[in-house]
Amino acid sequence: MSEPGAASAERVVKALVAAKVEVAASLPDSWLAPVLARIDAEPKIRHIRVGREDDAVGIAAGCALGGKRAAVVCQNAGVLLSANALAGYAHNHQLGFLVLAVYRGLEDDRFHYQKYKGLVTEGVLAGLRIPYRVLTRADELDTIASAVDEAREKPMVLLLRHSALFPAAG
Amino acid sequence: MRRAAAAATFKKHLAPDDIVVCGLGSTRRAWAEAGAPQLTYNGSDPMGTAPALALGLALAQPRRRIVLLEGDGDLTMNLGALVTLAGAAPSNLRIAVFINDRYETGGGQPLPNAGRVSYTQIAGAAGFPWTGEAHDEAQLDKLVPALLQRDGEPPSLGLLALHVDPEASPYPADPGPTTQYQDRAAFQKRLHG
Repeated sequence: MSEPGAASAERVVKALVAAKVEVAASLPDSWLAPVLARIDAEPKIRHIRVGREDDAVGIAAGCALGGKRAAVVCQNAGVLLSANALAGYAHNHQLGFLVLAVYRGLEDDRFHYQKYKGLVTEGVLAGLRIPYRVLTRADELDTIASAVDEAREKPMVLLLRHSALFPAAG
Repeated sequence: MRRAAAAATFKKHLAPDDIVVCGLGSTRRAWAEAGAPQLTYNGSDPMGTAPALALGLALAQPRRRIVLLEGDGDLTMNLGALVTLAGAAPSNLRIAVFINDRYETGGGQPLPNAGRVSYTQIAGAAGFPWTGEAHDEAQLDKLVPALLQRDGEPPSLGLLALHVDPEASPYPADPGPTTQYQDRAAFQKRLHG
């Protein structure tokens, strides 16, 4: 029997590779552990660990500037922390890259200290005028590849629900 | 050391195919005024992200040397980026920090703990394999080549701190004829041919 989340992690990384993403800059969340382990094992992706999520945003923007596709992988707290960086690269530089953010703080999250993030994340993204989608099912992870294509001159954020990453958990 | 003299020293030593990334404000303007031929990208805004942007560019362009001309104000906003850069350790990235201990463009306000911060010690403790510090033009003229390439050693990440005089460098009266995204498009056109 495979580890919880391994099948979804495989889907995520397969989609990134299909979209020719060559750099992933990440800051962990417990929900991301299988995805990050799979990225580590993927020879076609260079995994850069960052100390703050806006560093990941800057790295992805620099890759886009230089002609290489990159993804930011983080929790939605990283989206909130990176608001200025995301807006700056979206609207000032007009550089595109993918942001994969696990969506903490909704009804599927029993940790009370995550709740505020569920309250504000989509409102912040709407306010920043950054396009985003919420992925709820595992099969929707296959749309990651097309989301990379959409992120041409503006970041594209995919908010990954627990049910997409750990479908067997119900 | 005057900012213009420091920028001229980099112009003297950089290779024609080096790519320069500039952080905010006065460092960016000093480099522009030097009239150097290197392909250059101005990283501002957002403030505090120029080191990460330069790292991304270095990863995307492994055959080109990327030189980040950074200000101490921009770097102080996100010193943790040095840990990320040291962890990634791209051999084609070099950083020069222009230190004047103040936010020049904002009106000359002092940086936090101005004058008592060692950026070379911070970078070294973060894991940078090479650091150097220049207090005058003669030192800078020796250390820029060392930053770019140490004889007999493989290329590696480095940070050079250089102390420049406080000089008024207010916002220009006119922001210029092009927007950031127009500059970005022009940069990419030159980069990719």
